Amino acid sequence: MIRTEELLLNVGPQHPSTHGVFRIIVRLDGEIITEAIPVMGYLHRGTEKLAENLNFTQIIPYTDRMDYVSAMTNNYVLCHAVEKMMGIEIPERAEFLRLIVMEMQRIASHLVWWGTYLLDIGALSPFLFAFSDRERILQLFNELCGARLTYNYMRVGGVKWDAPEGWIDRVKTFVKDMRLRLDEYHNLVSGNEIFLSRLKGIGKYDADTAIAYGLSGANLRSTGVEWDLRKTEPYSLYDRFEFDVVTGKNGDCYDRYLCRMGEIEQSIRILEQALEQFPGDGETMGKVPRVIRPPAGETYVRIESPRGEIGCHIVSKGKAEPYRLKFRRPSFVNLQILPKLLVGESMTNLVTILGGIDIVLGEVDC
Amino acid sequence: MKGMMKGLGVTLKTLGAKKVTHAYPDVPIEMPDRFRGIQHVDREKCIVCNQCARICPTDCITLTGKPNPDPEKKGKVLDTFDINFEICILCDLCTEVCPTEAIVMTNNFELASYSRDDLFKDLDWLNDNTKNIRQDNNNIGAPQRGGGKAE
Amino acid sequence: MEPLRFIDKPLTWGHAGLMVLMAVAVLAVVILFVTYAIYFERKVIGWMQFRKGPNRTGPLGLLQTVADVSKLLLKEDTIPAKADRGLFILAPALAFIPSFAVLAFIPYSQHLQFADLNVGFLYYIALSGVTTIAIVIGGWASNNKYALLGGMRSAAQMISYEVPLVISVVGCVMLAGSLNLRDIVEAQSGYFWHWNFLPQIVGFAVFVVAAISELNRTPFDLPEAESELVAGYHVEYSGFRFAFFMLSEYVYVYAIACLTTILFLGGWHAPIPQLDFIPGLIWFVLKFAFVVFCLFWIRATFPRLRVDQLMGLAWKVLLPLSILNIFITAACIELFGMGG
Repeated sequence: MIRTEELLLNVGPQHPSTHGVFRIIVRLDGEIITEAIPVMGYLHRGTEKLAENLNFTQIIPYTDRMDYVSAMTNNYVLCHAVEKMMGIEIPERAEFLRLIVMEMQRIASHLVWWGTYLLDIGALSPFLFAFSDRERILQLFNELCGARLTYNYMRVGGVKWDAPEGWIDRVKTFVKDMRLRLDEYHNLVSGNEIFLSRLKGIGKYDADTAIAYGLSGANLRSTGVEWDLRKTEPYSLYDRFEFDVVTGKNGDCYDRYLCRMGEIEQSIRILEQALEQFPGDGETMGKVPRVIRPPAGETYVRIESPRGEIGCHIVSKGKAEPYRLKFRRPSFVNLQILPKLLVGESMTNLVTILGGIDIVLGEVDC
Repeated sequence: MKGMMKGLGVTLKTLGAKKVTHAYPDVPIEMPDRFRGIQHVDREKCIVCNQCARICPTDCITLTGKPNPDPEKKGKVLDTFDINFEICILCDLCTEVCPTEAIVMTNNFELASYSRDDLFKDLDWLNDNTKNIRQDNNNIGAPQRGGGKAE
Repeated sequence: MEPLRFIDKPLTWGHAGLMVLMAVAVLAVVILFVTYAIYFERKVIGWMQFRKGPNRTGPLGLLQTVADVSKLLLKEDTIPAKADRGLFILAPALAFIPSFAVLAFIPYSQHLQFADLNVGFLYYIALSGVTTIAIVIGGWASNNKYALLGGMRSAAQMISYEVPLVISVVGCVMLAGSLNLRDIVEAQSGYFWHWNFLPQIVGFAVFVVAAISELNRTPFDLPEAESELVAGYHVEYSGFRFAFFMLSEYVYVYAIACLTTILFLGGWHAPIPQLDFIPGLIWFVLKFAFVVFCLFWIRATFPRLRVDQLMGLAWKVLLPLSILNIFITAACIELFGMGG
């Protein structure tokens, strides 16, 4: 008789498809996974602890580095939490700028996801298609705030920079082009039969499981739950614009793919409206005290980041530094379902499922 | 099959499309004015108020002052000023709080070096880093004279 | 020019020397092809991705592959401590030798052929099977789990796809009435609609899919699936041993492109007989280049299949189709008097 044994395979922390320093120990029977143990923490920097010794303005650059693919939404969630605690009014122009950059960021973030996901599945070109368009967004951000990845753009009470001359028009051109490019993306990939057969029915779960695991973002919406904080708990100016919450039906990788692609389209819609209504002039900073000292107490705010619900919980003792700062990071929470999904799948599907969750390791480990 | 054909069509069309590659090291990349690069420090302008060192989230700035050598004038002048670019994150907060625009950003970003020692920049180096200085510094965090917004 | 058929003649020192010379010449041509196929592949894929491709080493980047290969050859030769030393060293050579040996029987034009074998195509299949063994050996000897998975996948894949590959060609063989590649090309003379790819459309489709799979190229590059298995069977190989694996992969690209041209695209025949004044070799090279381009084009566009789908495709789709093709061809020959 042939002696058979299970294969213990170490995937990561250095592996092309773990999107950073993430490690999964998988037990393989042939190519079928019988157990998967995720190991996190390789990128842990202690942001929350560091923040306890920093004042709120100083924390903003640290939030850039959590979800580094979507730094604008991180900026926003911190500023929004402090503003809520202190009851600061934000000038309309600043709020518009915030909303525009957040939606552009959502497009950029989904583009990164789209490109790297297709690279995981084995297609080479989408990655460069996505990055050539993301480059235009980064260039616009660079003109606006002087950085391409870690923007440090928002401040408590407003934004640091007003839009430079002609910037709004350049965004308008970009949005127009992006619509055409999105069609091209769909032509390139979405109809490809190999692609469909790789995604359909893979990594399936239902709405109850998703809610039980606390999933959010496209991971939750792919099961058909209409939960988008921009709609369900409107913050910023989202209640002024028309857009749809894109949901799936089956809760598999393909529906997650469609959700994210649909979200790019909805972001384009929001941007088109926001750019039309953009106020001609106005302040970009509200009335903020010299030293930001939120009153004693605590608050929790949550917004919809490209990856899901990002939340910021501040406990303040009335000092310039937070007593305790806690970020609810969507990547971290969404990742928890991974071991459950992987059992019984093949090595190939490991990559499909992990990519479909869309994690950013900077945020998982924080 | 139809989906695959469409995909092949897209890539074939791209074959002749305009390329986006930069000839970067040969042709330098022009950054927009607001770009946050390596700081320039003007030793004449600095009033040694320590604002930049205090706001720095990573504590990468160390500076010392000395009494003004000109006995006629009051206040301090800069003695040493060091930025450790191993930990500087170019977050722009130091230039934001500087009341005299003594520390400003430039558009230079090439810091790569074979030695970590080279990343420790002192006052002389920072003072001579005068190329591509940022025009609009928007120091919204600085204390404004007379309480209101300075023109 | 007299057909270069040394095998038929008595073996003398002169003939043997000539044979060695010819082999070296083919090797030179093949290495030149591989060098510029890699360059061309990177250029084409670059252009399809808004990039320029290699352009910094030599004029237009033409020396890029030369530089890459020199780097590989100069690299330290590493063998993992726990590897099976003998097999680890044997595998790259075993992969390359058959890939080179299959080139002997390819007719490039009416008179340019090295070995006129009557079993032509079968010879290719028999030898290319050896490379599969080399890949499995390489994956096993590396003593690496990723390499082992890659080797296993490769064995399963290549054995599965050889079956439809052979059977899909039977239609062409029936039309020509011979396994000899030169006879198969001769049977396709005339206008381009006499080429086998139209009368044998099903066989052609099956052949192309199975051939890409035999080559381990996208969308069938599972043995070296980068995003899953890091590099698959050659994950532990570096330096010139890795170069041999790469070389044999591209030599097979050469062989398969030649075979597609010969079996289905009319070999050295012009699309219409009026263009016959252009030498057959040029037509052959043009068709060959087109096939190679299509391989690169597909690589730039498609994602990768999954293992189980791959097997399903071979046994449930390609095999029945190719067998069906044999029956249809036979019926057509019988009823309409097609072919010979």
